Amino acid sequence: MKRTLHRILASSGPLALALWTIGCGRPEGTLQLPPQQSTLARDVDELYYFIFWSSVVFFVAVTVTMLYFVFRYRRRRGVEAQPTGHATKLEVFWTVSPLVFLFVLFQWGFSGYVDSAIAPADAIQIRARGSQWQWEFEYPNGMTAMNELTVPVDQPVKLTLSSSDVLHAFFVPAFRVKRDAVPGMYTTLWFEATELGDVQVFCAEYCGAPPGAQGAGHSAMLATIHVVTQQEYDDFLAGGPGPPADCQAQENINVCWGQQLYRTSGCAACHNIDGIAQAPAPNFRGLFGRTEQLADGSSIHVDENYLRESVLQPQAKVVQGYANVVMPPFRLSDNQIDAVIAYIQSLE
Amino acid sequence: MSEHGHGASYLTARRGLASWLFTLDHKRIGVLYLATTLLAFAAGGVFAVLVRTELLTPGRTIMDADTYNQAFTLHGAIMVFMFIIPSIPAALGNFFLPIMLGAKDVAFPRLNLASYWIFVFGACFALVAIVVGNVDTGWTFYTPYSSRAGASNAVLWMTTAVFVMGFSSILTGVNFIATTHKLRAPGLHWRRLPLFIWGIYATAVIQVLATPVLAITVLLLFMEKLLTLGIFNPQLGGDPVLFQHFFWFYSHPAVYIMILPGMAIVSELIATFSRRKIFGYMFVAGSSVAIALLGFLVWGHHMFTSGMSEFATMVFSALTFLVAIPSGVKIFNWIATLFQGEIRLATPMLYALSFIVLFTIGGLTGLFLGTLSVDVYLHDTYFVVAHFHYVMVGGTVMGFLGGLHYWWPKMTGKLYDARMANVAWAFVFVGFNMTFMSQFLLGSRGMPRRYYDYLEQFQGLHGFSSIGSYVLGVGFLFMLAMFVWSLAKGAKAPPNPWGSAGFEWQTASPPIEHNFVTQPMFTRGPYDYHLASAAELFDGFPEDEESPVAPAGDRDGGEPEG
Repeated sequence: MKRTLHRILASSGPLALALWTIGCGRPEGTLQLPPQQSTLARDVDELYYFIFWSSVVFFVAVTVTMLYFVFRYRRRRGVEAQPTGHATKLEVFWTVSPLVFLFVLFQWGFSGYVDSAIAPADAIQIRARGSQWQWEFEYPNGMTAMNELTVPVDQPVKLTLSSSDVLHAFFVPAFRVKRDAVPGMYTTLWFEATELGDVQVFCAEYCGAPPGAQGAGHSAMLATIHVVTQQEYDDFLAGGPGPPADCQAQENINVCWGQQLYRTSGCAACHNIDGIAQAPAPNFRGLFGRTEQLADGSSIHVDENYLRESVLQPQAKVVQGYANVVMPPFRLSDNQIDAVIAYIQSLE
Repeated sequence: MSEHGHGASYLTARRGLASWLFTLDHKRIGVLYLATTLLAFAAGGVFAVLVRTELLTPGRTIMDADTYNQAFTLHGAIMVFMFIIPSIPAALGNFFLPIMLGAKDVAFPRLNLASYWIFVFGACFALVAIVVGNVDTGWTFYTPYSSRAGASNAVLWMTTAVFVMGFSSILTGVNFIATTHKLRAPGLHWRRLPLFIWGIYATAVIQVLATPVLAITVLLLFMEKLLTLGIFNPQLGGDPVLFQHFFWFYSHPAVYIMILPGMAIVSELIATFSRRKIFGYMFVAGSSVAIALLGFLVWGHHMFTSGMSEFATMVFSALTFLVAIPSGVKIFNWIATLFQGEIRLATPMLYALSFIVLFTIGGLTGLFLGTLSVDVYLHDTYFVVAHFHYVMVGGTVMGFLGGLHYWWPKMTGKLYDARMANVAWAFVFVGFNMTFMSQFLLGSRGMPRRYYDYLEQFQGLHGFSSIGSYVLGVGFLFMLAMFVWSLAKGAKAPPNPWGSAGFEWQTASPPIEHNFVTQPMFTRGPYDYHLASAAELFDGFPEDEESPVAPAGDRDGGEPEG
């Protein structure tokens, strides 16, 4: 019995070591983890897999030993249970020795956490404001964008997060970062993207949903990070976000862009385009060119100016019947507003 | 010390509905709690099936986001406050703590009855909340979402329910502590206490110390909402993170209220079904107390991404790892108890062994979450959901079911069909793992929790998890049918069907109203198989109820099913 135990322990050591070194995260992702697309991801993945394989070894040892004992000491005629003895040294050993392993986990995890909490001094500073149910980003030059964040590759970026209503959280699985957006205070997170392309952002702190069937709320509060070259980022900052690539080839670029903005900027959450639903906000179909009755009794012709004002200062001229619905202001660039107007105009 | 008593059992000693509703008998109160908490378990289970069914496909499956948010909130709130926290201590603890101590009842029987009715009164508020509708905050009620001007009043009804039920928990804790200290029969010193008592006792200490903090937190939430006082809502000058600190200061120790009784039962099951004293008794007893105390120091590990200082996260992470040690000690000691034992795989033992395997997974995945940099990634994903279901269901519920099957003959005087019980176990074990193992993968692949809708890439794992939940549900329905059949048609149970040396088996099945005919005197511990007499370990029907000595014969004679 003792010899078997020794043999098991002796062979598990090298086996564990082998598994620990081969079973790590991979840049392109593994079964358990997404692709590593930031400088922080590799360390997080290595620690994850260290814990994972240690857990597998421990779990197998516990389960196999348990099952072996259950089988080996199953009740049989003539064989009685032996009274439980004492093995205080063994008990102290297995009470104290896990502390070594646990300390390694603590130290490695804490140092990784400190690295992820303190942004490099040369990080680009971008603001991210969460509200139900969208993200607004503000760049160093004052430009803003809804639900889409453009950053240069291989450059540290520091996000200063806040919320205008309830708790939200900014979660980027591919970067392995997450931080709550707390109303009333600033929190920060930073990352350095290592791959070009689009990266998914989720809200990771439950923030409700609109009543009735009007949208998914928390689970629809998504955003996209566009990781681009330094040149593309500089161009972007200079000229504002331009129409997306798949609209460039369209006959009417602005209508195509406006339609995408309608979906990604959060307009679709309240304004329908089927010509029927007028709640919680006016339907866009047939809107352009109409005469609307306002809440204060006056009337207005829906033209480019009215639409622009309604995007930037929605409370200025509210249509009758919508006085209780609070539309937040949307800070779109001039080009973006042009595109949205073109799109609404196209909905006859 | 055999007491196959005279007189009617506690079930028939008094008759009529009033004799149940106003009973002072701890066993009847335990049965009342059992019925109520099982009803809550069924309700919580219905909400679980609704949630998993919605998640079969992305987008809308059977309900809107708004309704879904209420479904997962009610699943959590009902399961936590109306099933998992009360069930083992108030149902099984109430029944067996006095008996195991050689006492007639708890120290304060009237307080015990009051605890039950306070619990029911609190549950009524929860019912109102569900009917009034729109409790959609998650069971954690984070501010400012739960206290903002637009939040539904139903949140107040639900938090009132929690406030009231908390007093039931506190008073039960007080009762158990007093009973353990003061009503132990002669000869029963602390080092001879059954490990079930140690676990319930440690739980009671947490209940008494932690639950008042929940009450205060709920009161502050009330004051914020009704008096427009700025405590947690930044629009009124409050701090949302403060709510999280208050909430988790109770709710983390609460999870030890949930797990310690489950572990306590597992100790009893492993001992009986190995026919051996638990290895390292003092370490196991001490580990319950250590978990109870350390559990008060780690609440911040729920808040690593909340905006807390780096210093605070460091302290909470370090303390969190310490709590892993006493849990590990129990696992090692239970397995060491199997060594050189006489193992029987009766249904309760299947649940005990399931606990060991599944709680190990739950505990190990806790290491991922205590590790700061990894937790930043995994927090608020399905990984966390899977982790806590492994410890709460794979742990506590397995322990609860093991205890229920084990003590069923004692409480009801009936046996259940072992084959049906084992089939139900198989469905539960397989269904549970299907449902939640897949959720570890969902979480590590980046799927956030409390999501009504999800990206297409997660559909396969979600679908598999939902099918697993149906398998799990079938297992429970099968188990329910089995127990109902046992009540209606089950064979009569002998006093000690498992041949256990535990003290509770030295009473009739079911026990008489006062548990014992004469005051017991303890001359051995509950796991001293080598000191117990053949009569005490006899698992059949004593031929003569008056005689303390069973007829001579081999121990395997008259073996009941299972």
